[in-house]
Amino acid sequence: MAFDKMELQKIEVWDGNRAAAQALRQSQVDVVAAYPITPSTPIVEGYAKFLADGYIEGEYVMVESEHAAMSGCVGAAAAGGRVATATSSQGFALMVEVLYQASGMRLPIVLNVANRALAAPLNVNGDHSDMYLGRDSGWIQLDAFCPQDVYDLNFIAFKVSEDHDVRLPCMVHQDGFMTSHTAQGVHTLTDDEAYGFIGEYKPMNDMLDFEHPVTHGVQTEEDWHFEHKARQHNDLMVKVIPKIQAAFDDFEKLSGRKYNMVESYDMSDADICVVCMGTSVETAREVATEMRAKGIKAGVVGIRVIRPIPFFEIAEALKGVKAIAALDRSSPNGAAGMLFNEIAGCLFNTDTKALLSGYVYGLGGRDLTKAHLVSLFTELQKNVDAGKVTTPLQQFIGVRGPKLSFL
Amino acid sequence: MSEMKKIKNLKEFSTSADRFEGANLLCPGCAHSIIVREVLNATNDDLILSASTGCLEVCTAVYPYTSWDASWIHIGFENGSTAVAGAETMYKALKKKGRLKQPERNPKFVSFAGDGASYDIGFQWISGCMERGHNIMHIVLDNEVYANTGGQRSSSTPIGSSATTSPEGRRSYGEKRNKKDMISIMASHHIPYAAQVAPNKWKDLVKKIQHGFSVDGPVFINAVSPCTTEWKFDPKDTMHLADLATDSLVFPLYEIIDGHELNITYRPKDLVPVEEYLAAQGRFKHLFKDEYKYLIKEWQERVDANWAYLNRREEARV
Amino acid sequence: MANKGWDEFEIGAMLRTFNGKIDDIVGTHQENRAYSENSSFVASVADWRINKPVFNKDFCIDCQFCWVYCPDVSIISRDKKMIGVDMDHCKGCGVCVEVCPTNPKSLLMFPEKADEETELAAWPAKNEEKK
Repeated sequence: MAFDKMELQKIEVWDGNRAAAQALRQSQVDVVAAYPITPSTPIVEGYAKFLADGYIEGEYVMVESEHAAMSGCVGAAAAGGRVATATSSQGFALMVEVLYQASGMRLPIVLNVANRALAAPLNVNGDHSDMYLGRDSGWIQLDAFCPQDVYDLNFIAFKVSEDHDVRLPCMVHQDGFMTSHTAQGVHTLTDDEAYGFIGEYKPMNDMLDFEHPVTHGVQTEEDWHFEHKARQHNDLMVKVIPKIQAAFDDFEKLSGRKYNMVESYDMSDADICVVCMGTSVETAREVATEMRAKGIKAGVVGIRVIRPIPFFEIAEALKGVKAIAALDRSSPNGAAGMLFNEIAGCLFNTDTKALLSGYVYGLGGRDLTKAHLVSLFTELQKNVDAGKVTTPLQQFIGVRGPKLSFL
Repeated sequence: MSEMKKIKNLKEFSTSADRFEGANLLCPGCAHSIIVREVLNATNDDLILSASTGCLEVCTAVYPYTSWDASWIHIGFENGSTAVAGAETMYKALKKKGRLKQPERNPKFVSFAGDGASYDIGFQWISGCMERGHNIMHIVLDNEVYANTGGQRSSSTPIGSSATTSPEGRRSYGEKRNKKDMISIMASHHIPYAAQVAPNKWKDLVKKIQHGFSVDGPVFINAVSPCTTEWKFDPKDTMHLADLATDSLVFPLYEIIDGHELNITYRPKDLVPVEEYLAAQGRFKHLFKDEYKYLIKEWQERVDANWAYLNRREEARV
Repeated sequence: MANKGWDEFEIGAMLRTFNGKIDDIVGTHQENRAYSENSSFVASVADWRINKPVFNKDFCIDCQFCWVYCPDVSIISRDKKMIGVDMDHCKGCGVCVEVCPTNPKSLLMFPEKADEETELAAWPAKNEEKK
């Protein structure tokens, strides 16, 4: 081996970016092609330092834009090896064209996204606008709620993405700054444990196999395009969820840490619940516990897997609940929120007739406070008591000025 | 280093086993495929190829057919250079890690793109690849127009040419701006090799491609590709047009080594007036109206000035 | 290739040029390669042609200009000899005729429906005015 292993403490104090950089190092990525952007920059900086210190054997290319970063990743992945990068926000937006190409070409690539708002107006802080922008791109999207999740989900991402039955790229999302720059205790795996979990990269349709030349990135028109898109959607809908579940199970055996498609908290007897993503999940859990002390049966559902949407798992998690709040951290710009619509879709044909209301919050890094959540849970309880949604279906919380609500 | 393929003469060259196939969808008489064949046949080494969106790409990989016998990738319009640079980076990584399936091979990494995909939309990606020193060769199939989409002007479209987005009309002689000097810009990245080639001068082309494959670092090649459809000439005349292009010095053949050492590689024995080059193409037809004849004179002056400039640079050895 | 259903092809719209492995591609001419159904080599563009080239080997000097300048890999040369035209891949552009240096030319264009034997029998004589 032409690189050194690193001795890690059992628990390291890492922010989400550090956790991601360490996971990439331990995964022995063959090629990272990257371009820095706040708040994901420390991931590629950390990786560069590992390289400079001899902890990495793979190639690392700093390219001239995020579009080129993902383009380089696609070329490298098609050549046949383990590939990863990181980005945020505007960089993510610049990558979008190539995101669709990467997934359509069925290339396993792991993309760490430190979620950040989209301009205009320009903003460097965390919300889920970039994550939402990627949701039709054909990638698998996993959501981390804290640095520990970032670390663990990177291994899950490589394992699922590179599986020959899957061969779809995978994003690992974390909240910009709230997770990416907030240091917490992270339980680590040894280098051997981590690499052993993912395993050697197994090439498939690799351009560098000179005895089996392949053509990647063809043109298909009305006679073939639909079939290829249908195939990709089928594989996302049918193959990915069981593979993620198997990876979660294996990972639990290795680390003792259990992940689920849908992370339910105090949901077994909950009357009301909040459905949200990212760091808000942890805040909501804390407030739900406090609500329980007041006699309100509150629970929280965190969405771990955004794409493919765990449709039945969401319906199952919400089946006994009477009122649900869908929290969207992205401006829907003329519609109900994404989570509102997804949940409505998951529940519509079920026996669950829960009252569903939507909340738009936290844009551009605006805090979601415990006070916001207390009043939100209180509203949900009112809905339960009244037997109907007593508020407009879409409300903005934490924004200055006259109260904003719609629908 | 692999051994360079020996190609003394055309007969010897003709023993090559092509790695590009017919029944592609390029127009009859398209120069793109002539150039591609000359390039691919210049080496016996394995090839990893890319194409940016454009005529070559949409005509050679329309599902369920491929015209490529070596591994080939297309991503988008702007990023063919970066696609092949990514593959080259993976090659380096796997070589280092001892994971290549055929470690004894010496692959060459080549990116093909049109002038639109190189001079315009892919400019930044190519510049990045050149600056980073990837071991790749970027080849522009320069037909001076967005031919794939029906003839819109690019920054390679020359003055006086009628393109669909810079058409000639009652009050316009067509394109108003001069062609971008892409070779100089690329050479200014101080890459080991940049050159202009033409398919009619196959030996010069092959020699330059072979030199490009022999150097360590990025190579930029600009290949004039007469376009029967957009330049508006009979498909049978493709090579005649290429002859006019090189022998009028509208497309002088030269190379720039290490970003500074310029060598002229072809000096036409019988110079052709630029007017003849223009007259052979429908895209310049309107220039022969009385009111635009001054443009033909200016064309000749511009070509003469450029030739004098290239000669000065060659002489100066700087 | 037949219009397969969504579950019948390889993922990623990836195409393989050859069936199985190819060892020495530059040492293997087309006729000895195991092309897959996805190589355009197995397809034909013969129906594109309005005019077709007819090759008269009596005048050919095997200069290989037609081989190097054929855009469609349709001039079949083996062992430095011009053998003929691949009529599945020739689009009838006429470049080969234009670049043919012999007098009379060894390749001439005729309407697609013309009879080759008849045209060969009526091949033009040497043009004395040409250089």
